[in-house]
Amino acid sequence: MIRISRREFVRLGAAGTVAARLVLDPARARAATPTAQDIVDRIRQALGVASQADTIDTFKAGDPSTAVSGIVTTSLATIDVMRRAVKAGANMIITSGPTFYSRADRPAPPAGRGRGTATAPPPPDPVFAAKNEFIKANNLVVWRFSDHWRLRTPNPFTTGLLDALGWTRYRATDDPSTVMVPSITLDRLVDDVGRRLSARGGIRVVGNRQLRVRRIGVLPGSVSIQTTLKVLPGGDALIAGEIREWESSEYARDTVSEGLPRGLILIGRTLSEDPGMKVCAQWLATVVPDVPCRWMPVGDPYWRPV
Amino acid sequence: VTAGDVVERIRKNIGVPWREATYRDTFKAGGPATPVTGIATTAFASFDVVRRAVAEGLNMIVPHEVTFWNDRDDVTIVNGDPLYKQKLDFLTRNNVVIFRMHDHMHDQRPDFLYVGSARELGLDAKYETGPGSHRFTIPETTLGRLAAEVKKRVGARALRVVGNPNARVSRILLGVGYATPSVNDAAVDVVISGEQQEVDGGFDSPEYVLDAAELGIPKGWIMLGHAVSEEAGMLEMAQWIESFVSEVPVRLIKAGEPFWAPR
Repeated sequence: MIRISRREFVRLGAAGTVAARLVLDPARARAATPTAQDIVDRIRQALGVASQADTIDTFKAGDPSTAVSGIVTTSLATIDVMRRAVKAGANMIITSGPTFYSRADRPAPPAGRGRGTATAPPPPDPVFAAKNEFIKANNLVVWRFSDHWRLRTPNPFTTGLLDALGWTRYRATDDPSTVMVPSITLDRLVDDVGRRLSARGGIRVVGNRQLRVRRIGVLPGSVSIQTTLKVLPGGDALIAGEIREWESSEYARDTVSEGLPRGLILIGRTLSEDPGMKVCAQWLATVVPDVPCRWMPVGDPYWRPV
Repeated sequence: VTAGDVVERIRKNIGVPWREATYRDTFKAGGPATPVTGIATTAFASFDVVRRAVAEGLNMIVPHEVTFWNDRDDVTIVNGDPLYKQKLDFLTRNNVVIFRMHDHMHDQRPDFLYVGSARELGLDAKYETGPGSHRFTIPETTLGRLAAEVKKRVGARALRVVGNPNARVSRILLGVGYATPSVNDAAVDVVISGEQQEVDGGFDSPEYVLDAAELGIPKGWIMLGHAVSEEAGMLEMAQWIESFVSEVPVRLIKAGEPFWAPR
């Protein structure tokens, strides 16, 4: 189906013979539907973030010249998300996470990992194969949008997570990644966070359950020890996507064991970044109004036995 | 016996060449001249472990992991933090020596971290495909039942699992700490390990397992947590040190799991 933006429709209409053009001039009709490359160009132009030289924000699969029927944003381009996207009539996936299971994001398994020499060609992998086939069969294009999206001010991942948690109105005036919530125990706060994010088994906590919490740092994504050292002491609790366990959670453990009233809540990288891609879909609707755009959450990848 | 004597005996008995360039396996507090009253092994020299060791009269700690919350125990990262000063003061005041054993534990054969974790998980040697392969073929079960059994055995409150609970699995590949093997090995159904980056690593097993589950390919990923995964083997480490340090008590003081999980 060919979609025309309202502006395009009006412009073509002003020139007269809209229907005739579409019927008689297929080239013209194609031009009315933006390609994946057009969409990326428009994103770059509208984003207001300087282009990063060394970036993972590139096409990961498909042909950039593909006419786009619909866009799905997500935090991880899983096969499940791709299937739901196709069902919804979309053929472009904009993902903040990798498609092919690593930062390198290549459509074939890394050579030699865990099986002898690094130079040996990787054996065929049924998951890579199925994903590549699905992308090809459905003419999908996948573009990664991570480095540049998170450089936008304010950080849309923070905006999205705060919104998902219902905390936008609690945002501290001095710091966009801090909230001041009505006093609550760490225990109840964790339950509340889990419910609002529909967490399954991904949440882990360091701290005294009865700790009273008001000031909370909210840092989706991956959080370094340097950042934890800066943020944890200044508030009552820190909510982070993912940390290194020999860094931030050990620092939090020592902090708590020495009697300092602090809590650390880890929610997982994917769950923490899901809402930021909802913000992305909303923003894209303003940048690419001529293509339907929707968000598809991945959800919590983890579960935990009772 | 001094801390220097203990380290000298460790080097003599380890059975692999000492990595002179290691930044990990060095003194993190105190030094070789300190007389040792007793030795505690542990996964992490947490503040709590240090306090308990001192209370038990053990003034030398041999942790597998870090003391000052970063891999290099680089104090320039943490020395602006009051908690660092507090921990350092406590160590100094109590004449505590910390000597990390990381790289050489992984070089040593067997690697006690794997021995201890397999012991705790009930992955008996009879299931291992070969000595030191870390690959175990157990009677077929479901990922759900396996995960429940693992949780019961190691007592990790906050362990996390990815994969279809109904997936039928029998081939386990064991990792420890952050040395978590990739799950996309055709000969492996489930990886059990400590910790691994969820996204943007060398290989992101969580996403791979989600996709495998979607395709009906039986795969599972069970993360015990870094501390839980590497703590068990510090018992073997204590016993090994005891075999050549008879002058003072040597025992494991568990750092324990730092996390709890919502109900």
